[in-house]
Amino acid sequence: MTIDESGVAHKKEVVDKKNVVDKNASMPFEFTSADEPTTEQRPNPHAKESTNVQATVDALKARFGDAIVDVTLYANEHTVRIQKSVIAEVCRHLRDELGFTFLVDLGGADRFTEDERYEVFYNIVNVKAGKRIRLKVRVDEDELTVPTVMYIYPGANWNEREVFDMLGIRFDGHEDMRRVYLPEDFEYYPLRKEFPQLGIPGSLPLPPRSPEAGLTWDPFAAAHQGPTIKSYQEPKSADEDQE
Amino acid sequence: MGLDKALGDGFLTTRVDTVVNWARSNSLMPMPMGLACCAIEMMAFAAPKYDVARFGSEAMRFSPRQADLMIVAGWCSYKMAHAIRRIWDQMPDPKWCISMGACASTGGMHRCYGVVQGIDNFLPVDVYIPGCPPRPEALIHALMDIQEKIRNDYSLAQDYTSGSPAELTAPTI
Repeated sequence: MTIDESGVAHKKEVVDKKNVVDKNASMPFEFTSADEPTTEQRPNPHAKESTNVQATVDALKARFGDAIVDVTLYANEHTVRIQKSVIAEVCRHLRDELGFTFLVDLGGADRFTEDERYEVFYNIVNVKAGKRIRLKVRVDEDELTVPTVMYIYPGANWNEREVFDMLGIRFDGHEDMRRVYLPEDFEYYPLRKEFPQLGIPGSLPLPPRSPEAGLTWDPFAAAHQGPTIKSYQEPKSADEDQE
Repeated sequence: MGLDKALGDGFLTTRVDTVVNWARSNSLMPMPMGLACCAIEMMAFAAPKYDVARFGSEAMRFSPRQADLMIVAGWCSYKMAHAIRRIWDQMPDPKWCISMGACASTGGMHRCYGVVQGIDNFLPVDVYIPGCPPRPEALIHALMDIQEKIRNDYSLAQDYTSGSPAELTAPTI
């Protein structure tokens, strides 16, 4: 027992560093850039064999050469970054020659960087072989267009429209480049980082508060103008009479 | 009219009112505006276990022209709001509205650009139900509140109590 300055007695803590179990040791953050890369090779418990497509990546490299910008292997998943001008040819080659017939997902991301700010990704599956590949395309802010793949994978149609709706990236050759979720006359792209999450007041109208009135542009009309009232006069209730 | 004198002013109309309001309150036909997970609770409310048929409201009407109670269940986007208001305008008078759940009442956890922060911004709501989602009992309680409101309403006698019919035009906003 020891007594510290405030006079509180407490047990002396003896720490044997060798016997202390580090609770975080089972889940090390070995992939964050802040950490030094470890030399020790541990198997990733989430890694799957189906996402390692070295043969396909080699075939793409042999066919397209310099158009393949970067290949990364993270958690046993291959990600192939390619130049955006060849995305349609790469997809057609993957579908016709390499058996990747199913586009699972297509979406966009705002990386909020100076160069090549936006990114569009394509997750494609070879159903027969049970293999998955991820393609990525970077888009610069000055030229927000990507060639469409909706004629190769028709399922890309609405996904590309969603990317256009949320990020404002246009898809060249898309036959129906309209918004999906938001009204046609909405002027902003909400998934861009500079868009305020709470929205821009006056950008989306509410319906009229009575059959005769016009659109409501105040998003908090009930708080500012009073509650919405019925278009017919409600009879007085017995309670109101008593008051 | 000897009968009028014998029964007093307004005797007949108030008796008719009682009958009309009793019938109206026990045969509310809800228009189920199910937008999200609250709609699942609304289905339970209509299903045999909670059995809203005990209150005479088991006939869900998917046509607004046959409905007189709108139950807005779930979060409402700005794009959907226009459709809801159009359906509301198609419902015949008199009509009532229940805002079911936190999202319909205030926007709930969806404090973002696309979700209306409370349907009372464009609909005249009679009863709000808190909860996420509310239990079917809470919806039944809201229905009973609407029934109480209807039973306490004047209808035929309002000409005598609220002034002349010329004053009873629809309010403008």
